[in-house]
Amino acid sequence: MLLLTPILIVPVLAGLLCLLVPSRRVMAAMGVLAFSATLGLGIALVYQVLARGVVTEWNGFLSADALSAWMVLLISVVSLASAIYAVGYLRRDLADGAVTERRFREFYVLTPLFGASMFLVVLANNLGVMWAAVEATALSSVLLVALYNRRHSLEAAWKYVILGSLGLALALMGTVFVYAAACKNNPQSLPSFNWSYLMSVADQLDPNLLKLAFVFAFVGYGTKAGLAPMHTWLPDAHSEAPSPTSAMLSGVSLKIALYALLRFHILATACLGTAFSQHLLLSFGLLSMCVATPFILVQTNMKRLFAYHSLEHIGIMCVGFGLAAPLTIFAAVLHIGYHALVKATIFFAAGNIHQKYHSLELPSLAGLLKTMPASSILLALAVIGIAGLPPFGIFLTEFSIVAGGIGAGHLLVSVLFVAALVTVFSGLLSHIAHLLLGTAEKEPGGPGTPRSGVVAMALLIAVLTVFSVWLPVPLLELLRQAAGIIGGRQ
Amino acid sequence: MNLDPVAIVLQTLLMLLLAPLLSGCIKNWKARLQNRRGPRPWQVYYDIAKFLRKDMVISEHASWVFAFAPHVVFLTALTAGLMVPMLHTPAPLSLFGGVLAVVGLLALGRFFLALGGLDPASAFGGMGSSREMTISAIAEPALMLAIFAVAITARSTDLSQIAQSTQGATWKLLNPAHVLAFAALFIVLLAETGRIPVDNPATHLELTMIHEAMLLEYSGRYLALMEWGASIKQLVLMTLLVNVFFPVGLAGPQASAGALGLSLLAYLAKLLALSAAVVVVETTNAKLRLFRVPDLLSASFVLATLALLSTFLFH
Amino acid sequence: MNPPAATEIGSQIITLMAALMLVVQLLMIGQRMLLTSIRLFAIQSLLLAAIAAVVAYYHDASHVYVVAVLTIVGKVIFLPWLLNRLVHRIQIHQEIEPLLNAPTSMLICGGLTLLGYVVARPFTSLERLGNNTLAIALTLLLTGFFLMINRRKALTQVLALLTVENGVMLAAVALTTYGMPLVVELGIFFDVLVAVMVLGILVYRIRENFASMDTSKLNQLRG
Repeated sequence: MLLLTPILIVPVLAGLLCLLVPSRRVMAAMGVLAFSATLGLGIALVYQVLARGVVTEWNGFLSADALSAWMVLLISVVSLASAIYAVGYLRRDLADGAVTERRFREFYVLTPLFGASMFLVVLANNLGVMWAAVEATALSSVLLVALYNRRHSLEAAWKYVILGSLGLALALMGTVFVYAAACKNNPQSLPSFNWSYLMSVADQLDPNLLKLAFVFAFVGYGTKAGLAPMHTWLPDAHSEAPSPTSAMLSGVSLKIALYALLRFHILATACLGTAFSQHLLLSFGLLSMCVATPFILVQTNMKRLFAYHSLEHIGIMCVGFGLAAPLTIFAAVLHIGYHALVKATIFFAAGNIHQKYHSLELPSLAGLLKTMPASSILLALAVIGIAGLPPFGIFLTEFSIVAGGIGAGHLLVSVLFVAALVTVFSGLLSHIAHLLLGTAEKEPGGPGTPRSGVVAMALLIAVLTVFSVWLPVPLLELLRQAAGIIGGRQ
Repeated sequence: MNLDPVAIVLQTLLMLLLAPLLSGCIKNWKARLQNRRGPRPWQVYYDIAKFLRKDMVISEHASWVFAFAPHVVFLTALTAGLMVPMLHTPAPLSLFGGVLAVVGLLALGRFFLALGGLDPASAFGGMGSSREMTISAIAEPALMLAIFAVAITARSTDLSQIAQSTQGATWKLLNPAHVLAFAALFIVLLAETGRIPVDNPATHLELTMIHEAMLLEYSGRYLALMEWGASIKQLVLMTLLVNVFFPVGLAGPQASAGALGLSLLAYLAKLLALSAAVVVVETTNAKLRLFRVPDLLSASFVLATLALLSTFLFH
Repeated sequence: MNPPAATEIGSQIITLMAALMLVVQLLMIGQRMLLTSIRLFAIQSLLLAAIAAVVAYYHDASHVYVVAVLTIVGKVIFLPWLLNRLVHRIQIHQEIEPLLNAPTSMLICGGLTLLGYVVARPFTSLERLGNNTLAIALTLLLTGFFLMINRRKALTQVLALLTVENGVMLAAVALTTYGMPLVVELGIFFDVLVAVMVLGILVYRIRENFASMDTSKLNQLRG
C-alpha cells in the first residue's frame, strides 16, 4: 500500500484545488482536511517504519527511515494546527482589510504547497531532489512572507529570498561535490545519487571532496536553517509573515533545513571518520546561541523576539548533534519535536494579540490576563515550556544535552550553553510577567479572539503536556532509531 | 640579430604603401555602414601628397621639439614595424628585446607626439597630450601583460618565435590564454589608434578630441609625417594582432616567391577582416566620456592579467 | 603534426567556452545598463548550453543533450524575455552608482579569480574534459557574490544570483561523469525558473511600494 506518495500528493492537490474553489470556507476546510490526512498517514508510516526499518517507494526514489518518519509527524502536526488557527485568523484579517481577497486565496494555495515541499525534503532519497525540495519550500514561503504587502513585509521577503537562494546555491555546490565524489568512485557508469547508496559506499569516497562538499552544504543549508552568522534574514521573515506562516516557518521549516544538513553530516561522518562535521556543528551551534541571547534581551517586538528565540533553539539542537554522545543526540531529536509544538503555540498567541491590539510592541502591552484570558494562560504555559521549566519536555532535553556534554568532557561548551539558557530564561520570564500581569494601559476594544485561534493553541499545548510526561513506546522506539541513524549506527 | 637588407627594404615599402590604404578602407567602410558613400579608399594617398606639397606654418613659440617630433613618430613606427613578421618569419629586423623593443619604440613615438602637442603652447595641444598620456598609462600595462601571456606560452619574447610556435598547431588557438590576450589587445588597439569608443578620429570638437588635438598645430610636411606615422603605427598594431594570434599562411624563413605571394594574400585578408571588426565596433558604439575610458581600459587590463594567469594555470 | 585526439579538441573547446563565460561575467561586473546585463546573462547561459552539448557529444550521453536544450529554452530564451518584460514594466533601465567603481570592481574580481584557481587546484585531476573549469565555476560563484554586494538595484541582484547558479551548473558539468542525473537537472531547472518568477513578482511589488528598485532603501528592519 502506498504511503509516501499520498503524503506528498494530498497537500499538493489541496493547494491546487484552492485555485479553483470560490468559497472561502471550503478553502479553509481543505487545508485542515489535507493536513489531517497527512497526520493519519504519518502515524501509519511510523508503524510501518518500526516494522520494516525503511519504507521505500518508486524504486527507492522516495524513502522513509525513522528520522524521516519523525519529521513527517512533526510537519503534519504543526501544519494541521496552523491550518486550524488560520481559519479564524485569516477571516479576521480579511475583515480588517489587512489582506485582500486575492491574497487570501494566495495563502490557501501556497500553504499546502509549502507543506508538500517540506514533506518532499524528508521523503526524498535523491540528494539533488532533496535540494530542489528545500528550494521549493523557500520559494513557496516567500510570497507568504510578503502577504501583507507592506514595506516591512516586502523588505523581509526580499532579504529572505535573496539570502535563501544564495545559501541554496552554495548547498547545490556541495551537492554537486558529493556527486562528483560518487562519480570518482565509480567512473564507468552513472552512479546513483540516492542517500542510501552513498551511505553504503561512504568509506570509498574521496575525503577531500567530501570535506569541501560538507563545508559548502553546511554554509548553504545552515543559511536556510538560520545558523549564525547567516541568520540575518530570520528575525525579519518570521516576524513579518502572518502568524500561521510564522508558526510553520519557525516550527518546521528551520528543522527541515537542519534535516538536510544532518543527512550531509551523517554522510561526512561515515566517510571522514573524524569529528570534522561534529566540530562545525558544535561551534556554529554555540555561536548561534551566543548571538541570539543579547538580541532576545533587547527586543521589543514580540514576534521578532521569538524569532531570535528560534535561532537560539536551532543552536541548541546543533550543539546536541555536535556533541555526538548518544544521550545528546536523542535529546536533540526529541527537542526538535517539543520546540516545534511550543513555538507554534507562541506565534499563534502573538497573532491573537496582534489582531486584538494591532501592535506587538511589548512595552506597550500589559495586563493581558484580564483582556484575553484563554490566550494568555496558554501563552504563559507555552513560554514556561519553552524557557525550560519542568514538567515540560524542553527542560528534559536541555538538561540531557548539558549532562551529555559534561559527560563527554566538553566542560566549556556546557558552561556556555547553560549561561546562554539562563540569560534567556530570565529575559523571557520577565517579559511574560509584564505582559500578563502588568496593569493595562489602554483598553483594546475590538472583537474577541476567534475560537479557532484558541483551539489550535490548546491542542498543541495538550499534545506537548501529554508527550512531555509520557512517551508512548512506538514513539520512543522511533526516536531511538532516529538518533541511532544520526549517531552512525544503522 | 638579424639584418636582411632586401627584406628590410621590401617590408618598409609594404608598410609605406599599405598603411594609408588601410586607413582609407576603414573610413570608407565606416561611411558605408552608416549609409553614406564615404571617401575613396585611396583618398589618403592624395591627402598625404597634398600635405607634402604644402607650406608649413609654425608657431613662434615652438622649439626644436616641434620639428623633431614628426620624424621620431614616423621613424619609430617604421622601425617597430620592421620587427614584426608581416609576410614571413623571421622579421627583417631583429634587435635585442623582441617584443619589448616594439612596445618601447611605440612608446617613444607616443612620448614625442605628446611633447609635440605641448610644444607650441596651445591649449588644445596640451589638453590632447594629457588625455593621451592618461589613456596610455592604463593601456600600456595591458598591452605588455597580454603580449607576455602569449610570450610565456611560446617561451620567447622574439615575435618571430612566437608566431612560429603557434603556427603548426592551429587548434592551440583555442587556448584560453590566447583568447583572453586577443580580447585585451583588441581593446588596446582601439585605444592606441584613437578609435571609438576611446577617441573619435573624425572630430575637432574640443571636448572630444585626443589624438587630433595633438596634431592641431601641425601643417604641411610635418603633418604628412605625423599622419603617415599614425597610420603605420595602426598597421603595426594590427599586424601584431593578426600575425601573432592567427599566423595562418605566414611563410617560413627560406620562402619562395610563390609562398610570399600567398602569404601576402593571406595577410591582406586577415587585415581586412580585423578592419571590418574595428569598423563594426566603431559604428555600433558611442564614444565614452573621458572619465569612463579608464573603466574600459581596466577591463582590458584585467583580461590581460587573466590571460597571464591562464598560462600558468591551464596546464 | 598528428591531429589531436577527439577528446583533446573537445577539451580545448570546453576550456575556451568556460574562459568566455568568465569574460562575460567580467563584462557584467562593469556594465551599467540593465538590458545589456540581461543580454550578457543570456550569452553566458548559451555558452553553458554549448559546453553541455560538447560533453554530450564526446561522451555519447544523450541525456546531457536534454540538459543543453533545457538550458537554452529556459535560461537563454525564457528568463531573459521575462526579465526584459520586467524592466519595461518597471521603466528603470540603468543601474545607479555601485558601491565600488568599475576599475576597482574589476581588480577585485581579478583577485577573486585567482582565489578560485587556488581553491580548485587540488581537484584538477578530477576533471574529465576541459582544464580548470572547476576554477572558473568557483570564480563565477565568487564574482556573483561580489556583484550582489556591490550593486543596489534589485534586478541586478537577481542577475547576480543567476550567474552564481550558472557557476554551480558549470561545476556540475566539469566534475561529474556526464553531469547529474536527469531528474536532478530537471528539478534544478524548474526551481530556477520558479525562483526568477517569484523574484520578478517581488521586484515589481517593491517597485510599486518603494517607487524604486534601490535595495539600499530596504533597511528599516534592524536589530
